[in-house]
Amino acid sequence: MTGAEDDRVTGAEDDRTRGRRGRAGRLSRLREGWLARLRERVESRALTALAVLTSVALVAAFYYPTATVLIEAVVVDGAVTLGVFADVLTDPFYFGELARLLSGESPVAVTRSLASPDRRLGIVGFTAYQAALSTVASVALGLPAAYLLARFEFPGRRTLRSLTIVPFVLPSIMVAVGFVATFGENGTLNAALAAVGLPPVDLMFTLEAVVIAHAFYNAPLVARVTTAAWESVDASAVETARSLGAGPVRAFVDVVAPQVYPAVLTGAALTFVFTFGTFPIVLALGGFELATVEVFVYRLVRDLSYAEAAALAIVELAVSLGVLLAYLRYEARSSTSTRGARPLPRRPLVPPTPSLRELLPRAGLAAYAVVAGVVFLAPIASMILASVTGGDGALTLDHYRFLVERQQTGAAFQVRPWPAIRNSLLFAAAATLLALPMGVVVAVLTTRRYRGRTLVDAAAMAPLAVSGIIVGLGLLRGLVFGVEIAGWRIAASGAVAIVVAHAVAGYPFVVRTVSPGLSGLDRSLVESARALGASRARVIRDVELPLVWPAVVAGAAFAFAISIGEFTSTVVLATGADAYTMPVAIERFIGRRLGPATAMGVVLLVVTGLSFVVIERLGGEHRGI
Amino acid sequence: MGSERGDAGTDAEDDPDAPVAVELDGVTKRYGDTAAVDDVSIRVREGEFFTLVGPSGCGKTTTLRLIAGFEEPTEGTVRFGGESVAGVPPEDRDVGVVFQSYALFPHMTVGENVAYGLNFAEPPEGVTRDERVAELLELVDLPDAADRDPESLSGGQQQRIAMARALAPGPDVLLLDEPMSALDARLRERLRAQVKRIQSELGITTIYVTHDQEEALAISDRVAVMNDGAPEQVAPPRTVYREPASQFVAAFVGDNNVFAGRVADATAEGELAVDVDGGDETLRVRTDRGGDAAAPSVGDRVTFCVRPEHLRVADGTAAVTGNALRATVASAEFLGETTRVTLDWGDRDLVVRVTDPIDGAVAVGFDPSDAHVIDVETR
Repeated sequence: MTGAEDDRVTGAEDDRTRGRRGRAGRLSRLREGWLARLRERVESRALTALAVLTSVALVAAFYYPTATVLIEAVVVDGAVTLGVFADVLTDPFYFGELARLLSGESPVAVTRSLASPDRRLGIVGFTAYQAALSTVASVALGLPAAYLLARFEFPGRRTLRSLTIVPFVLPSIMVAVGFVATFGENGTLNAALAAVGLPPVDLMFTLEAVVIAHAFYNAPLVARVTTAAWESVDASAVETARSLGAGPVRAFVDVVAPQVYPAVLTGAALTFVFTFGTFPIVLALGGFELATVEVFVYRLVRDLSYAEAAALAIVELAVSLGVLLAYLRYEARSSTSTRGARPLPRRPLVPPTPSLRELLPRAGLAAYAVVAGVVFLAPIASMILASVTGGDGALTLDHYRFLVERQQTGAAFQVRPWPAIRNSLLFAAAATLLALPMGVVVAVLTTRRYRGRTLVDAAAMAPLAVSGIIVGLGLLRGLVFGVEIAGWRIAASGAVAIVVAHAVAGYPFVVRTVSPGLSGLDRSLVESARALGASRARVIRDVELPLVWPAVVAGAAFAFAISIGEFTSTVVLATGADAYTMPVAIERFIGRRLGPATAMGVVLLVVTGLSFVVIERLGGEHRGI
Repeated sequence: MGSERGDAGTDAEDDPDAPVAVELDGVTKRYGDTAAVDDVSIRVREGEFFTLVGPSGCGKTTTLRLIAGFEEPTEGTVRFGGESVAGVPPEDRDVGVVFQSYALFPHMTVGENVAYGLNFAEPPEGVTRDERVAELLELVDLPDAADRDPESLSGGQQQRIAMARALAPGPDVLLLDEPMSALDARLRERLRAQVKRIQSELGITTIYVTHDQEEALAISDRVAVMNDGAPEQVAPPRTVYREPASQFVAAFVGDNNVFAGRVADATAEGELAVDVDGGDETLRVRTDRGGDAAAPSVGDRVTFCVRPEHLRVADGTAAVTGNALRATVASAEFLGETTRVTLDWGDRDLVVRVTDPIDGAVAVGFDPSDAHVIDVETR
């Protein structure tokens, strides 16, 4: 405040001086020192600087390496050509009967062959087919869980709800080991069948095993998104429908279902995309007979057919992005957000009255619990059991002893357990340190409103849709073999490249956990802080991050777990190097001896579980709320 | 209210010579094709309590956000103390902002909230940070709240803390965006008296946004009544109430009866006889009140209004003077002190306020000098 009384406006000049003095207050005092001036300048640019840094990191770690590989599909011997593509698209090996359509045969003939029993789907067709089956299985297995979690109250409900995140972050190769231990020739399933006098079944290397394993991963995802949508249905909307004359079933169909099924579609679309790009599960459970696109890309890379691998990876990317885009368009049209709704009251799991209407759904849930137990618990339990069971069926610690002996006496070319554990932990820690700031910056950038935000969002999320094999290969040839920039040769070790690949794979999950929290914050909190004098970057530090801290911790746990379990690009980058991780070690064991693989799997399970607990604890102390 | 007249437009607080603290010069803010704020020019004087009032969607909040720097105008200039603040971010504008949602930082104590702005500005000379916080908490009558958790406070208390936080760094301008809309009516009345007291104690230029016209009249030195992105009238509360500049203002601020018709006769003393539309009545209206431009002449169309409290209902003892209308009671709302009665008059409604219940056919009248001519359309 200035003493206005002796300062009447007499002209423009006066006006300006007074204005400056009027706004003097705190700022001119702050601006006196050059140090303060510098600090202010750094702070006001900090957000821009971080954004630029993140972009550079993304280009260096993802876009450039990926592009160098993908470009080989269209540039052969220095000339641009679509020949490689044309070959892939018209090859029945990849596209089955559809390839004949693309190479000019009549649609009638192709349709007839497709309808016949000995039709060929080709690799791409088969990949889509198994992804579709996996999606159906995941939805079928996920919906009852959502019903249970959203509509019933029972002890341990919250714990169960948070456990649904676990399968998603479990290392896929470990899950594969668990499935071998359950459904394999000498697995627990056959042991159980033999105990009741039934003939054994061989599910290994069948489509069924792959689909069940995919459901293990993705059904909890479907359950999570559906539960969230179901819980946000406003009870008064249902009550309104009931008071207008709709019965319980009709009210469900008219009011609840329309609000829940977009979430089911979200889960289904994500499941399709994830299972279309599946790799470790199929590699371990299906072998090359059930090869999916990603497995075949891996094989082509190993055979050094880079051009064909790149073309196939582009086809894979196109299908994944197509599904994602179609889904996003749908979501944009049908998104309705209900906030602050009063949720539907949950029913007790123990029926209050033993009537048929009360008992029927609960009996259904009991049957579901049995199936869920077989799919979700059996693999983990079987793996643990197998790790302590000898060839004669007696309990033994031989497999662990083998790991210790291998550590002491293993030859240089053999995979030893301790380096695998150490590498996994080191890489995961480093990848988390890299992924966390990247993810937070992208989350901040994508929750602000501006033109082209969707583009930034999509570009930042692209690592989710691109084949891990291709990213790994790009990093191998770009970073590890080195690039020449302005006469300087820049090369990184395999370990560094693995950390970079893991950070790229993990940071979209940081974004996905942090940005809902950020966009849910009251905008006037940010504006209050700014009006009080804080720069944009300072507001992030002082207000936004402390308020979404639990989400940041969850994002870190995610990045850590993704890195621990990452297999696809690691297996490419660890070739020849001693930078192998636990998942790679398991894969090398699994081919020869199941016992040590399960023992290693248990070690991985323990390490993953412990790191989750540690991160949760660390985060808990800082939690602002 | 009705009987004392003649001081309209000369409220003591209204000092047209005071220097301008905040000026909007032809400011427009467009989102796509729609203009939320449309060519607004306003000058807020130093130390003034200035209120933007209007229905939702009238552009009042956007105007405030343009002043705070949360939005940049599409066209026009915002000036602080005569100097353009185009491109100056909110943190460099020296404004204090209070939001409807309080926006207290939930992860900080009350004291930390109030002290937050002092990270970026020194407290006044000779005062430590802690003293400044204590001073501000004292000012808002919550001296012992410093160590409390914001969420443990009531809505009214939170709003006072938000006010203390905004004032702590000593801003030049205080901006309040519907600060009391989330509070109940009684608390709102108490709090607005407190806001007014603090504002006059500090003499700080204050711009206040509300949709509540009663609140606007009660608290402000001057009021800008906004409609469709622009102010229809900028004047002290009494003037806005007694001499609304447009039909919108007449209808928005308080209850009103608006009439339109054609001038049938005009006397030299400024008394008009108006043939009111939609009926065969002729009503007499005086036009000599404050600053009407050219007096209307015969044949012009005029719009005028009469406040409900100026419409007197004839009962057994007193007859109606001046204009007399015959109407029928349509409905009544009991408000406690008075009853608000809607009358059928021909095919239109009249609103009156009475103390004793009335029913059936009644005679109502008003003094020609209690009518205010809003608009004149010359023939």
